[in-house]
Amino acid sequence: MLRSMTKKSTTLLNLTAVVVLVTLLYLLEINKNSFGMAVSILQKSVILSIVAVSMNLLNGFTGLFSLGQAGFMAIGAYITAIFSISSDTIDSVYYTSGLAPWLMSFKLGLDVFPSAIRILFGLLLGGVVAGLFAALIGIPVLRLKSDYLAIATLGFSEIIRAILSSPQMDQITNGSYGLKNIPGFAIESDFLPVGTGSLLVPFAIAALCITFMVMLIKSSYGRAFMAIREDGVAAEAMGINLLKHKELSFIVSSFMTAIAGGLLAMFMRSIDARTFQISMTYDILLIVVIGGLGSITGSILSAFLVTASKEWWLRFFDQPLITGGITIPLFRTGFRMVVFSVLLMVVVLFFRRGLMGNREFSWSALLSWPKRMPKAKKGANKRG
Amino acid sequence: MTSTTIIQHILTGISLGGAYALIAIGYTLVYGILLLINFAHSDIFMMAGYFMVFAMAVMPWPIAIPLVIAVTIFLGVVIEKAAYKPLRAAPRMSIMISSIGVSYLLQNLATYLFSALPKGYPTISPLKRVFQIGSVSASLVTFLTPVLTLILVFILMYLINHTKLGMAMRAVSKDYDTAKLMGIKINQIISVTFVIGSAMAAIGSILYFTDRMSVTPFSGTLPGLKCFVAAVLGGIGSVPGAVLGGFIIGISETFLTAMGYSTYSDAFTFLLLILILIFRPTGLIGETVTDKV
Amino acid sequence: MDNSASTVLALRDVTMQFGGVVAVDNLSLEVRRGEIVALIGPNGAGKTTVFNVVTGVYAPTNGQVSFGNQVIAKNSPQGKMQKLYAGQNKGVYKGSVQPTPDQITKKGIARTFQNIRLFKNMTVFENVLIAKHMNMKAGFFAAVFRLNAKEEKNMRAESLALLDMLGLADLKDEIANNLPYGKQRRLEIARALATKPELLLLDEPAAGMNPQETEALTDFIHQIKNDFNLTILMIEHHMNLVMDISDRIYVIDFGELIATGTPEEVQNNPAVIAAYLGVDE
Repeated sequence: MLRSMTKKSTTLLNLTAVVVLVTLLYLLEINKNSFGMAVSILQKSVILSIVAVSMNLLNGFTGLFSLGQAGFMAIGAYITAIFSISSDTIDSVYYTSGLAPWLMSFKLGLDVFPSAIRILFGLLLGGVVAGLFAALIGIPVLRLKSDYLAIATLGFSEIIRAILSSPQMDQITNGSYGLKNIPGFAIESDFLPVGTGSLLVPFAIAALCITFMVMLIKSSYGRAFMAIREDGVAAEAMGINLLKHKELSFIVSSFMTAIAGGLLAMFMRSIDARTFQISMTYDILLIVVIGGLGSITGSILSAFLVTASKEWWLRFFDQPLITGGITIPLFRTGFRMVVFSVLLMVVVLFFRRGLMGNREFSWSALLSWPKRMPKAKKGANKRG
Repeated sequence: MTSTTIIQHILTGISLGGAYALIAIGYTLVYGILLLINFAHSDIFMMAGYFMVFAMAVMPWPIAIPLVIAVTIFLGVVIEKAAYKPLRAAPRMSIMISSIGVSYLLQNLATYLFSALPKGYPTISPLKRVFQIGSVSASLVTFLTPVLTLILVFILMYLINHTKLGMAMRAVSKDYDTAKLMGIKINQIISVTFVIGSAMAAIGSILYFTDRMSVTPFSGTLPGLKCFVAAVLGGIGSVPGAVLGGFIIGISETFLTAMGYSTYSDAFTFLLLILILIFRPTGLIGETVTDKV
Repeated sequence: MDNSASTVLALRDVTMQFGGVVAVDNLSLEVRRGEIVALIGPNGAGKTTVFNVVTGVYAPTNGQVSFGNQVIAKNSPQGKMQKLYAGQNKGVYKGSVQPTPDQITKKGIARTFQNIRLFKNMTVFENVLIAKHMNMKAGFFAAVFRLNAKEEKNMRAESLALLDMLGLADLKDEIANNLPYGKQRRLEIARALATKPELLLLDEPAAGMNPQETEALTDFIHQIKNDFNLTILMIEHHMNLVMDISDRIYVIDFGELIATGTPEEVQNNPAVIAAYLGVDE
């Protein structure tokens, strides 16, 4: 009965959900002062959801394993930061060696455009540069066994970090001092309430990025990616050019990861190379694995759940806990991350399908959930 | 550069290379048998560093060293049994993710237990004794590392090529399924592999950290990455290959650092990886494998 | 009869050597338009290696493969192999043509695999639909933004029509891995046909089938050969099937051609009997 839910009613539900979401986000962002924590968690979650989905595109749908997320994010973050920091404050940011003259004149040239355009330019340029790096790494590495991609991208990520903070890059990345005074998401205008855009802007960009990736997965190219994941030899025998398609997937994934990196720079307002350590890549992997390899909605859901638990709900793990005058010994700085790594291992070892497996969210599944529960397995077989 | 400083750098490079070689052996053995990049190996190496810090706080070095090796071996085997063994039948990506999970866990555990601040590495005084040969002076550890590495490698090669256990290891690495059918106890062979790999990592860790002076929860990552590259460079699966790769990377890194390009010495390792993957994916002394279709 | 005009596939002096092991030794064979040709031989004779050479999985060590009047693979011993080479006709074939398997498929050669290689977690329909990807005209962005809706619709319609023709339409939404064995074999052939090949290579299509299933397969192969205007080269161990269906047979042992001819000729050839049964010299 519910399975026969019409296309019309699904569209209606989707539309309603979007309207409700936008209204909620708007109400939250204009009352940022009272909901500071929620706003910041939502910002970070939605940014990480882009990275998680793009990791899933590569890992869950194409069967390739890149561990370069932190590096690609760093590229996006630095490029976005350089182009979005206002030219007026740039000297105070690069207070040691100043910004390289060629870059400065380029920046000044861009100043004829409004700041939103400059930021967008930075985000896109970050994505394009990351995509180029991905293409270059991909050509030698993607011909080989997929293992090498993991190690090559991990190496790349560490190198990027080292280069960003090296003294030779002082005039571009401000070396080990990092960049600050990066503008946030809020749109500054006399006609809009303060805080407008803090949530709607990152959510809108994330929606665009994720929609693109979903449309890609559902296209003929997406099917080709999945065929490669299932069996590379057979895919090749079906006329699919392995290298080309692996490159495509890797480039799109890296592009999106860099966009998310740019957004992260705007979220954090100040960045330095230490932000983009390997542990950041591992954090993303945690999100993807918990959400379920091969499920887009799983990755998104997991990005919000993991971020909220980590930054908010489970914060208390890091505080000393005193009950009835007795200090519980385990609770102190770092315990939270231990709990998360144990959680990752538990999911990897015992719940390999994660929250969603390779299924996707659907209204009919949600609405029929209470009834379906006991027979879930049967239903799945029938559909399969 | 004068000839004295060149000799000095070569010595340092060989010494660093020796430590890298020992760690690379762990990667190459595990990859040879399980086709797994054991991401946790670099953190086993890091943990061995911490074990030494705590062991030396309460006991003299002749007791501390064997104890640390034993504890590291224990850690390696426990990781294999807990995190890899349950996934034997799972897709290869799952076990790779599991190894990353272990790496993440060990790093976070170390941060939690020992804090993220660097801990001073204890001085093993005889290793630090400075020798003077002509105008070149270096501590004992510099001379000892390559010698010890070569001795260990020869023992290991003997074990692999001339004992029954070694024959079983080679068989598993050549053809996992057939070896299993022939009645080789796969799990036992895998455990032995982890014992050897972890022992080498523990010894490598002592030699490496004695020159570095401090340990942090992340001090395993970059050396680990380099050692994996060393294993690929020499030819993954091959022990002499890993040793050759370790020495090449150790020496080139030392020279680049001496010339003032320490930032780029890491980039160089990565460049080596890309180059070897383009021109000789099977490594310098690895053998070609044809995939069966 | 003018052979060359109707030759679809021709192997000339093909040698495939792995390290010191010669898997295919100076093999020449020919498949003419509209024929069903069988390649038989004991286990390990190098039959699948021949398929892998034809489909570009391996580059031959020496020799030449042509499809129609186009050379699709050519090689002579290179690098280390120059010293190691143990075959014949070294230096006869100048230059090197080494296509990738997807290029071969695009030229019109499709294959199935000895151990079925379906896209296991995808549906029957998707398995077939994949084959349409290689001829898609729309570029990457056009495909992602659905600017090729009409093309996509055609791809789907063609795939559905194919499944219908081969009696798999009612299974189209099944996950490939859940199909019974015989159907999986059939789906693999359907998937190969979806690439619209001129030449179809079947690697042990009847492996693991009982006599009834094998008989059904015989009819099926005849049916597709006529319906799709195919030329077929197949590797097979079921002798009934081979004798029943083939126009000509090539027999290889240890990579070498030991006999060729019609089923009757091959059946009575002493060398073939020796290879299969073993004979005291």
